[in-house]
Amino acid sequence: MSTIHIKIDNASKSFGPVEALKGVSIDIPRGSFTTFLGPSGCGKTTMLRTIAGFYNLDNGDIYIGGRLINDVPSHQRNAIMVFQDYALFPHMNIGANIAYGLKINKIPQEEIRRRVARTIQYLGIEGLESRSPGQISGGQQQRAALARALVMEPEVLLLDEPLSNLDAKLRMNIRAELRQLQKRLGITTIYVTHDQAEALALSDQIAVMSKGQIIQIGSPWEIYYKPRNMFVADFVGTANLVPGKVTEKNGREVTVDIGEARLRIEEPIFEIEPGGQVTLCIRPETIQLSVSEAGESLNSLQGVITNYIFEGALVRYWVEVGKHVIIADVFDPSDKGIYTGEVTLSVHPNKVHVLSGPPQGSN
Amino acid sequence: MLREPLLLATVLVIGICLILFVLYPIVRVFTYPTLKDFVEVPRNIRYLRAIRNSLLMVILSTSTATLFGFLFAYTVTRTDVPLKSVFKLVSILPLFSPPFMVAFSYLMMFGKNGLITAHLFGLRVSILGWHGLWLSETIAFFPVAALVMEGVLQSIAPSLEYAGRNLGATGFTLFRTITFPLARPGVAGAALLVSILILADFGNPIMIAGDFSVLATEAWLRVEGWGDVSGAAVLSSILLLPSLAIFLIQRYWVGRSSYITITGKPSQVEREPTKWFVRWSLFSFCFLVSVMVILVYVALVAGAFVRGWGFDWTPTLQYIRSIFSRSPELIHSLTFAVAAGFTSAAFSITASYLVSRKRFPLHKLMDFTCILPAALPGIFFGIGYSVAFTRPPIDLYGTAAIIILSMIFWNISMGYQTGIGAFQQISPSLGEAASNLGAGSMKILWQIEAPLVKTSFFSAFIVSFIRAVTTLSVIVFLATSSNIVATFTIMNLVSDGFYGKAAALTTALLLIAFTVLGLAKLLIGKRMELFRI
Repeated sequence: MSTIHIKIDNASKSFGPVEALKGVSIDIPRGSFTTFLGPSGCGKTTMLRTIAGFYNLDNGDIYIGGRLINDVPSHQRNAIMVFQDYALFPHMNIGANIAYGLKINKIPQEEIRRRVARTIQYLGIEGLESRSPGQISGGQQQRAALARALVMEPEVLLLDEPLSNLDAKLRMNIRAELRQLQKRLGITTIYVTHDQAEALALSDQIAVMSKGQIIQIGSPWEIYYKPRNMFVADFVGTANLVPGKVTEKNGREVTVDIGEARLRIEEPIFEIEPGGQVTLCIRPETIQLSVSEAGESLNSLQGVITNYIFEGALVRYWVEVGKHVIIADVFDPSDKGIYTGEVTLSVHPNKVHVLSGPPQGSN
Repeated sequence: MLREPLLLATVLVIGICLILFVLYPIVRVFTYPTLKDFVEVPRNIRYLRAIRNSLLMVILSTSTATLFGFLFAYTVTRTDVPLKSVFKLVSILPLFSPPFMVAFSYLMMFGKNGLITAHLFGLRVSILGWHGLWLSETIAFFPVAALVMEGVLQSIAPSLEYAGRNLGATGFTLFRTITFPLARPGVAGAALLVSILILADFGNPIMIAGDFSVLATEAWLRVEGWGDVSGAAVLSSILLLPSLAIFLIQRYWVGRSSYITITGKPSQVEREPTKWFVRWSLFSFCFLVSVMVILVYVALVAGAFVRGWGFDWTPTLQYIRSIFSRSPELIHSLTFAVAAGFTSAAFSITASYLVSRKRFPLHKLMDFTCILPAALPGIFFGIGYSVAFTRPPIDLYGTAAIIILSMIFWNISMGYQTGIGAFQQISPSLGEAASNLGAGSMKILWQIEAPLVKTSFFSAFIVSFIRAVTTLSVIVFLATSSNIVATFTIMNLVSDGFYGKAAALTTALLLIAFTVLGLAKLLIGKRMELFRI
């Protein structure tokens, strides 16, 4: 990626006894789409509001474009926020809402008209200008709120869970649109959500947060397939977390004993010595499930299906393997139907991710 | 419903009581005078003057009380000035004090022989008259406006103000373009509410207005001076119409155009610090007003312990002793108000249960009749009882019953609305589940719903009790020597210049009101919802 646009250095913030941010540091590249992802109360919204200038940090610095902005008031940061509840002013119609910021900033009337018209057209909400916020649908409110921010031509766009108040189908559509829009405009965008699927779909870079700290920063692929610890693995997507013990190490190849079987794994990241406790993170879609007796092929486990759900594009099975329950997804069940009874699971050596330590406790 | 005799009986009892004790007195006020009495109103100079004066006071006092209330509410909810908790307390206490108290106290402080005007500054001025009334009403009623607007300001979603700031509006621009426009319906609602109270105000003008008579006091003088009940009825009728109109506007128009239904999730709000001169001005303003409020209580308590206010400042306990030794009025006030408060709470919560949970004929009318007393000036209600129940077929002249009944039904609206609010929050499925298991309607009320609305019942009791123990306007036409209550005696004592005993009695009333309030606060704590306006 190109140059750093926003730099957050060791940001800390407390509300009374509650430490909302505990030394958060992150670099955000210019033009990127960065997401703060985490459960509620993890500090992600506080981070966003601090960038917007609604909260002052107790400690640490924020730079936008190389300029220290700790003491710059909200409206001089050129970082415009779209609120979770949209915060459309109920006493103004949609047109007045969108024009509000320009008017406050004393932009000439003619230019206001031009910019509002262009933004409205851009977001496809023509004809709503004279309606009041209460008279339009949730999706339209969402676009109007986005328009009110974009019309300011901000350097940084801040989005606080803007899709959480929409129904599932609309959310999917707007998600795709938002990604496209951001790429086209090239505005550095910071997005806050607790929805991991949304984060994976939209972002160039994800910062997973928990209890006021960033746990891992990485691309969606990295976050999903190479989680740094149990928290990330568990929070992002569905993962089978299987405890085991390293028995052998041979260059990049390790063998892990999970009780019922020994799995061979190619794991380039961690330095794990034989005898060490580990947890295997196996994504359901990486597991092969078959009814045919596979015999003693590589990394295969024998199990019994105890439950399943049919989701159309895939069938998710719960398979009991000894004392473990393993979740496995089978895609495109159109010709296979639903399996029952005994099955064989197999995992490719380079599709298993190894985390150090047992599943509980570590965070 | 016909299969549930108990429910049927309850509906009938409530309905008959409402007709007899709310609707019938209203009708009697209008039917008591002859048509000629109404027609002659434009020719009576005293009437015209009272109308003009009332109008003037409504405009003046409503404006100042609303402004004061707004500034108080804004200071408490939006700034970080010191003494905020004091300001909050100061804007609550007057709600639970006798309405005439402010005027009485200012008379002692700023009157012809007042402590501050005559004795501290040696001025030969008197507060008696319209300007004194203006001041008293402003101080007496701004708390109502403050209470309403605090709620309004608090319910504005913080994200709206954040969004405004984020887009470039700071300081006064933010206030002008976002905060105030959002609060405007609330301000209008508060102003209308306050104007009803000021229009109906009897206690302040009777004490401090002197010759400046308004509709409420003129009606009283009609009876007191000329024995002209028809005239009083005519004047109260004139008073009722604008009250009712404002009440309906407030309830059905302003109530609907509110923005406060659109809210976001509350977040931890860190406000932009207000500019030092704004803070400082708001603080000084609230401080000054608070001093004026506190002065009211100081004067009353001090007055109770001084032999002759204005000429003989020797401390004495004679007034305190006298109200305990040979005054039936305090005992009456207390017992009547307990009886009225309890009955009123039970009545109004039961009525609110019927209206929110049951469907029966004239169900809308019951709802309206329960809310109606809130719109009735106390003077109107009192004269209604006087003409309806002091002669056959129902003659309750001089009895405790007539006073208690008037206190019960004048106060049902508050409890009723608290009850409606409570029942709205309880899912009807609880009752449905009980019914499914075999409970009848009244069993459901007592076994399932009543325990859940206990707090509302308490609140209703407290509010009715305090309003009953402090009311003057309602009982002024009903009190006789046999059923006299403290507020009536206080009025007479003040007009005869016996400030010491009047102050002692008022202090006793305050003590009773605040003790009950304090006990209630201890018993039910924060869940108490006393003023649902």
